[in-house]
Amino acid sequence: MGDGRRLVGSVVSAGLAVMLILLLSGLWSGIREQTTLYTDHAGAALYVLQPGVRDLTAGTSVVPLDVLDRVRADPEVTWAAPVRSSYVILQLHDSKVAPYVVGAVPGQPGGVWSLAAGRVPMADDEIVPDRVLARRHGLGIGSSVELAGRRFRVVGLADHSAGFMVPFVFVTHAALDDVTGTKASTSFILIGTSHPTTVAARLQAAGLNVLTRQQVAANNLRLATGIYGAPLRLMVAIAVGAGTLIVALAGYTAIVERQREYGVIKALGGSGGRLIRLAFVQSLSLGSLALATGGLLFLAGRALIETVRPQFEIPLTGESFGTAALASLAMALVATALPARRLRSLEPALAFRAAG
Amino acid sequence: VSRHVPLARRALFQDRRRASLAAGGVAAVLLLVLMLQGIFDGAMQQVTLYLRQSPADVIVSQADVRTMHMSVSTLPPETVDAVAGLDGVAWAEGIRYTTTIVARGERQQLSYVIGYDPVTGRGGPSRITSGQSPAHGEIIVEAVAADRLGVHIGDELSLFGQDFRLSGLFTGGTTIANSLAFITSDDFAAQRGPTIAYVLVGAGPGVPAGVLAERVARALPEETVQTRQRFADEEAALVKDMSADIMQLMALISFLIGLAVISLTLFTLTLSKLREHAIVKALGAPNRRLVTLVLHQAAWLVAMAVSLATVLAVGLGRLIGEVNPAITVAVEPSQVLRVAVATMVVGVLGAVLPLRRVTTVDPASAFRRAT
Repeated sequence: MGDGRRLVGSVVSAGLAVMLILLLSGLWSGIREQTTLYTDHAGAALYVLQPGVRDLTAGTSVVPLDVLDRVRADPEVTWAAPVRSSYVILQLHDSKVAPYVVGAVPGQPGGVWSLAAGRVPMADDEIVPDRVLARRHGLGIGSSVELAGRRFRVVGLADHSAGFMVPFVFVTHAALDDVTGTKASTSFILIGTSHPTTVAARLQAAGLNVLTRQQVAANNLRLATGIYGAPLRLMVAIAVGAGTLIVALAGYTAIVERQREYGVIKALGGSGGRLIRLAFVQSLSLGSLALATGGLLFLAGRALIETVRPQFEIPLTGESFGTAALASLAMALVATALPARRLRSLEPALAFRAAG
Repeated sequence: VSRHVPLARRALFQDRRRASLAAGGVAAVLLLVLMLQGIFDGAMQQVTLYLRQSPADVIVSQADVRTMHMSVSTLPPETVDAVAGLDGVAWAEGIRYTTTIVARGERQQLSYVIGYDPVTGRGGPSRITSGQSPAHGEIIVEAVAADRLGVHIGDELSLFGQDFRLSGLFTGGTTIANSLAFITSDDFAAQRGPTIAYVLVGAGPGVPAGVLAERVARALPEETVQTRQRFADEEAALVKDMSADIMQLMALISFLIGLAVISLTLFTLTLSKLREHAIVKALGAPNRRLVTLVLHQAAWLVAMAVSLATVLAVGLGRLIGEVNPAITVAVEPSQVLRVAVATMVVGVLGAVLPLRRVTTVDPASAFRRAT
């Protein structure tokens, strides 16, 4: 491939495209993981939601509080806790943030699952934001936050609660009742039990909308896929297209600038097919180098992004690496196809002309 | 060397396939930026559509609540009468509002459900395109959402765990994330209680919206009072702020790739044309001339890439709109201009390495026999 700097340039360019594919695929995996954060950590086996509501992220389930007594009366229910949830827009540092606010009863499950600092909210004017959100907007323990016209004091910082675009914020159930102006009800009821199947069946027979943790998680995921899936798939497709063109450019340039050498091979009896195979190996080498470079750039880029914008979780999964590897192979194939006609029709006499 | 010989263009386009690949590579990453921004801008247009088409001049909401999107606002029902009695108010009407799922069997549509008075129609959609406004036990949904749900007028839809009969359709307001649906205010109250979410206020003749907003705000110091325009701006700001981080990230990566491609192309081109550059220099052209030549090539590449990316973004946006009407891709001229300026900066940066090479080329090398 001759000039080392050009090779480096080609590999870095194509590697950046591979990095973009890995980042977008990883971002999508991260979004899916973050979508089930609550159900993964709340510790409940079952959820009681308003009839017709099947997930937590879509919005406002309203369950009368007397349902809680009916649930607790079941002999195989170990514990049951009401949780109110709502999106509330916060105005922080001249920018708007839309957190998913969770209101739990102090001392009962359903609230903060991991603390980075401080304690959980106990009073109705106390708030625990996600630590990433807090750091971003300079909030610390003792800071004051306005939530729908009410003033709250930060008493702790939650960990592992930074959702993609929508971070978690925790207050007491009563505080969120007040903010949303809704009394004598809750959003959903968490149930702890060792016998989820029988309990769910009994409560469903009693007319309640009971879903398992897995069902709620799957519904959350389905909703998130419906929202983010299509744009992200489109972005990945464009990134693959960009990478293909870049590898094709690098491969094509290398082939065009080495056509004299290719002419020599042809003059020595090499067939057009042999030249194309040679070009493919060259493009494949470039694609492989781009994949390796893209992997390294991805690791560096991910470390940087997760430092600057920790709300983005970008895991490297087998699926995303597979997508990038397939894209690299596709890039190599296209990169070979473009100059193939030129190689096939190459004149052997070219080898004996003076360069100039 | 004649100033009129377009050396930059000729050298760049001598190998058209290479120039096209380079421009295509840069265009593809610019397309990524334009499409992502276009999707967010399109969502912003749809999210603010209800407000932009509302006949209200002023909107009252709960203290510190300035938006509808992902928001909860609760006001006492008597707020409507308190506003209606103010000087300069032509009419005041409360709407009820929540975010929830409208479903038909297994098909679901996340929706902003609004309870309004169909008699005045002020809180409803600007126009019902088929069917009629909802009566008790009825619902109207957006046409794209109806298509997604697979329902027609007369079908039953599930909302709040109850069945509602679809009485009409309207157009506009469905995004990739959600849609709008309307029921009567009384049906809404029967499910969610008597509180209202927002008060829409119409100004009397000759009363500017800003003046009316101030007047209402003085009368309701505990609540948030905004002009309709201000409210729509707040909605747009929310979408913009929520998407800012992901946009910045994608733009940064895309421009980095663009920088690498432009740099690689110009560097390769410069290396392959070193002898020609030496001849130009031997004929007496100053370094300035060679610098201009490389910068012209960068400008050509950028112009081709931006043009191609814009055409592709508009075309792809239309195609996506046909395939999935819930995704509106709005390619705004201001956004294209921003991308073009940023890419031009990237182009100049990409020309740095080749510039170093051409300015140091030895004129005598033009007369040496190439090996």
